[in-house]
Amino acid sequence: MYFRTIEITPMKKIFLSLILVNSLWGLKAQKKIDFVEYDLSNGIHVILHEEHSTPIVAVSVLYHVGSKNEIPSRTGFAHFFEHLLFEGSQNIERGKYSELVEKNGGELNANTSQDRTYYYEILPSNQLELGLWLESERMLHAKVDIKGIETQRSVVKEEKRQRVDNQPYGSFFTEMFKRVFVTHPYNWAPIGSMADLDAAQEEDYVNFYKNYYVPSNATLTIAGDINLAQTKKWVEYYYGSMPKGQALNVYRDFIGLSDVDFEKRYGLSKTKFDAKNFMGSTQADAKKLLATYASKPIEIKRTEKDHSKIDAVIKDVIYDNIQLPAIFMGYKFPEQTHPDTYALQFMNEVLSGGPSSRINKTIVEKKEMATFAFSFNYGLEDAGIGIFAAIAAKDISLDSIQFEFDKQIEMIQNTLISDDEFMKIRNKLENNMVENTSSIEGIAESLADNHVYFGSADRINTEKDLFMKVTKEDIQRVAQKYLTQNSRVILHYLPKEK
Amino acid sequence: MKSILYTLFILLSSNLFAQIDRSVMPKPGKAPIININDSQVFTLPNGITVIVSENHKIPKVSFDLRMGSDPKLEGRLAGLSDLAGSLLLSGTTTRTKDQFDNEIDYIGADLNADKNSIFLSCLTKHVDNGLLLMSDVFLNASFPEDEFNRIKKQNESGLMAAKSDAGTMAQNAISKINFPQHPYGEVMTEASLNAIELQDVKEYFKNTFTPKGAYLVIVGDLSLQEARRLAIKYFGSWSGPESYSNQTESGQKNKGDRVIFVNKPGAVQSVVYITFPVEIHPGDKNQLPLTVLNGILGGGGFGTRLMHNLREDKAYTYGCYSRLNITDNGSWISAGGNFRNAVTDSAITEILNEFKIISSEIVKDDELNLIKSSMNGDFSRSLESPQTIARFAYNIIKNQLDPDYYKSYLQRLDAVSKETVLEMAKTYFKPYACNIIVVGNEEVLSKIKVFDADGQIEFLDAFGEEKKQILPSDISKEELVERYLSAVTMTKTAKERTKKLKKVKTFVRITDLSIPAVPIPLKRTEYWLAPMVEADKMEGQGMIFQKSYFDGSNGFKFDMQGGNTPFTEAEIASKKLSYGLFPEINYAKNGTQYEVLGIENVSGKDCYVLKTKDNTSETFSYFEIDTYLKVKTISIEKDGDKVQEATSTFGDFKLVNGLLFAHTINFSTEQVNISGTVSKIAINEKIDLKDFKE
Repeated sequence: MYFRTIEITPMKKIFLSLILVNSLWGLKAQKKIDFVEYDLSNGIHVILHEEHSTPIVAVSVLYHVGSKNEIPSRTGFAHFFEHLLFEGSQNIERGKYSELVEKNGGELNANTSQDRTYYYEILPSNQLELGLWLESERMLHAKVDIKGIETQRSVVKEEKRQRVDNQPYGSFFTEMFKRVFVTHPYNWAPIGSMADLDAAQEEDYVNFYKNYYVPSNATLTIAGDINLAQTKKWVEYYYGSMPKGQALNVYRDFIGLSDVDFEKRYGLSKTKFDAKNFMGSTQADAKKLLATYASKPIEIKRTEKDHSKIDAVIKDVIYDNIQLPAIFMGYKFPEQTHPDTYALQFMNEVLSGGPSSRINKTIVEKKEMATFAFSFNYGLEDAGIGIFAAIAAKDISLDSIQFEFDKQIEMIQNTLISDDEFMKIRNKLENNMVENTSSIEGIAESLADNHVYFGSADRINTEKDLFMKVTKEDIQRVAQKYLTQNSRVILHYLPKEK
Repeated sequence: MKSILYTLFILLSSNLFAQIDRSVMPKPGKAPIININDSQVFTLPNGITVIVSENHKIPKVSFDLRMGSDPKLEGRLAGLSDLAGSLLLSGTTTRTKDQFDNEIDYIGADLNADKNSIFLSCLTKHVDNGLLLMSDVFLNASFPEDEFNRIKKQNESGLMAAKSDAGTMAQNAISKINFPQHPYGEVMTEASLNAIELQDVKEYFKNTFTPKGAYLVIVGDLSLQEARRLAIKYFGSWSGPESYSNQTESGQKNKGDRVIFVNKPGAVQSVVYITFPVEIHPGDKNQLPLTVLNGILGGGGFGTRLMHNLREDKAYTYGCYSRLNITDNGSWISAGGNFRNAVTDSAITEILNEFKIISSEIVKDDELNLIKSSMNGDFSRSLESPQTIARFAYNIIKNQLDPDYYKSYLQRLDAVSKETVLEMAKTYFKPYACNIIVVGNEEVLSKIKVFDADGQIEFLDAFGEEKKQILPSDISKEELVERYLSAVTMTKTAKERTKKLKKVKTFVRITDLSIPAVPIPLKRTEYWLAPMVEADKMEGQGMIFQKSYFDGSNGFKFDMQGGNTPFTEAEIASKKLSYGLFPEINYAKNGTQYEVLGIENVSGKDCYVLKTKDNTSETFSYFEIDTYLKVKTISIEKDGDKVQEATSTFGDFKLVNGLLFAHTINFSTEQVNISGTVSKIAINEKIDLKDFKE
């Protein structure tokens, strides 16, 4: 699909997306967001937020699977699935998924990161049931077959060519992560390797679906102009009824395998099952088999936190189709649930939040060394990364920019920030948090993220307090702890020679 | 017991599953009622129209101040308004830029400005502080000189980057071609940027930022009463000249299809746009049906004709869209995308074909329903943002629309018929002549020529400027060379010149070079010994990177990769033709092939163009018409299939021993830009060439 968003590419977009990155951190607060949450018997976590100011509704499903769950020889799978799951399902014709949404006045999108795959629809509120049905089709029996795989393979390749390969500086995320995360699967970018996608067999794809696209790995969030009681009924109807545990995958095999293959795998012919009412199959062998598989949970393989350090100063030059050279410096930061996260975000605001921030004032404005210069934090489930970036002004050397970055880093490590700066950042974060409650889709996404990655959807209401606890001393301490000058990655982007 | 319960539970849930018929798509509930709240409007005595849209969902407010003037032609200062816009927040007479930025960030507000608007958004509790800063801008913007210079430099870098960005190049071409002699068709270039002075920026601001005819759109968490109080307090005392109004013509229509090509060497994809102006104004009764038509063609999301044909069906591209822009001062449509070189011509054929089909055949019900539902949804969803409601109010007033224009939007959308859609295509697309803009590799040229009505492809540069036109010269090649030599040697006659130059026995020039991406300082030293010995070296940090030596009949060159290589026959021949401080002195007698091509404008100055040629290269030299100084050369070296183009520019001419020499020398090729500053020129100094002895 042409609107997938996995990687941040051109510089201007990077600049804009910083606001997004910030918003991921600077979540919510001010007016309390009310919601209810519960688990269905098959493990789906449901979060509902009722708000009637506009007659629209957001339906979203967060699957706790991202590129870090891939195996090194099959990178790009998570993102590829994001594409594949627009192909259609048992009951939705190939290519019609998006059209159905559009035809009914809605919009949809999806995105994939290292940690998650997220799908959503925004619909007129009288189409809530449609949204629930659409996402349930995706979760239960999406079309994962060779035809769709081949179509989407070429689309993903075009996407990579247009968004990564042909974008000035477009590869910097990939290049940076490769060097900062040597042992952890954050090593590769969500877009992955096209060779891996080519090498993968249909079965690899089917297995990925069976392992990760299951109720116990999903969080369903519905926000907007809804009636709670009616919504709960529909949720139970479309989602509560999905097979539990491994029984789901028996059902998927029943659809996907030939009779011979099915019997080989389960020792039972497909004819023993009721095709129209699979879970209600009355034949004794079939009932027994389904009960057995239903009691076997699907174990999701989770990755470990990455607390390793960057060995030394790793310096590399990358040649790209660009006119102006650029520098990118990367530091290892802790995982997003680490208590230092908040102070690090404060630190980043001092360095790079807004026109009056230190990096903008010195490197861009006073010294005129760069056309863009900024830093940002990228927090993830298992580790984080802090990046400093600048595109050199005409005739300015990258080493001199690095020197200035280093001066800024030393300053924040050696001297407490001023009271004015401190208050400024607090005000700014407060403003961000208010802004982020302005759309129901934003609220839905934040509720889901807080539940899955921070263990509490209610963090949408309490995050502000965590920020407000940060002190000036905390900021200095984390700057000393994480901006390690002898352990970082430095990339120079230079114009490609013919 | 537990397991019995468990089985029972399984059965129960199985039963639940059994009752579900997932093959049936759910039916929608009763359509929700869409409310569009009315906005309040009042005017201030100084001429500002204030529009207030209350919304108390979150504790924030925004103030959007928009000027009422129409855009003006900027001519040789193209880009002035954009530059002024980016300088607006550079400080005021009461606050430096640093103080200003700091105060804005301190209240966590957003304050942006562009060439004709200023926008503030902040928490309601900070509204007074925010407005104090906002009003400081339109009352007291000071445009400090250092910021002006900084922003100019930043724009220089931006223009440089634009040369590698095919998308920007295409947009520049679209503007230039659709809107010649129109403010929309003006694109900032290096020359126009250079020509803009601080005074121009100040004038622009003074004339454009005036309360007369301006609009102030207030949205958010405050009452009408409070909005009125704030508007009077912060905007009421502002005064200024009448706003400027200018009925611009719509864009230029063609007689036949034109192909416009912008070269991007090495491109693997072509950026292609089929574009032409459309004669329609905002609020026209045909705006909605025309938008529906564009939606079916390629403006909608999924299932548009262009997407279906060029992506799904032919797989030429990742995306192909059409965009319809309807604005106060001109409207146009453009359709296209990025296509592999090999299918560039096929893509053009298909896009043209889609224009043709939609202008001659009635659309299908399915298509029409899809785009209508989708536009219905877009409209409804857009109402979530309070800014939308304010935009509606603004449009109604600005374009004098029916007060119920937006309230009746869905009804009017629903009423658009297939027949109306065809009528729109016939009215606005037909008879049309297209501009076919292609930014890409020259290898596609031969295949796209067929699309041009007269077979003459037009060539533009990255900024949409026509490749330079050359006017006939009024002097001969001999006269040109003569006048140039007189100018640089400060002599009047050939005899006087010969006498003066005879006294020059040696010459040394040292130039300090700076190259982006090369952090170390480099130094070039050139030597000349009468009559024909030449040596040249480039060094940095104690190392010699390149050198060459010619003793009048033989020589060699050296570089770090290749070591020493003797000059080839051709190189020796070329050296023998062109030697000395002013090689032009020998042109007439040594058989150099040269000719005057004419007069061309270079960075705003007319220059004579002299072309010289030998077996391996061609050089174009540019002599300023009023000084006869050589300000630029372009040399094109051919080595088999490879072509290397290098441009040198010369400036800061200064006298040394009675001779004029340039003291800034910039050299650029596609790969590198080198800026050089001459730090020393010495004449008749003793020269030591031991560095060049093998």
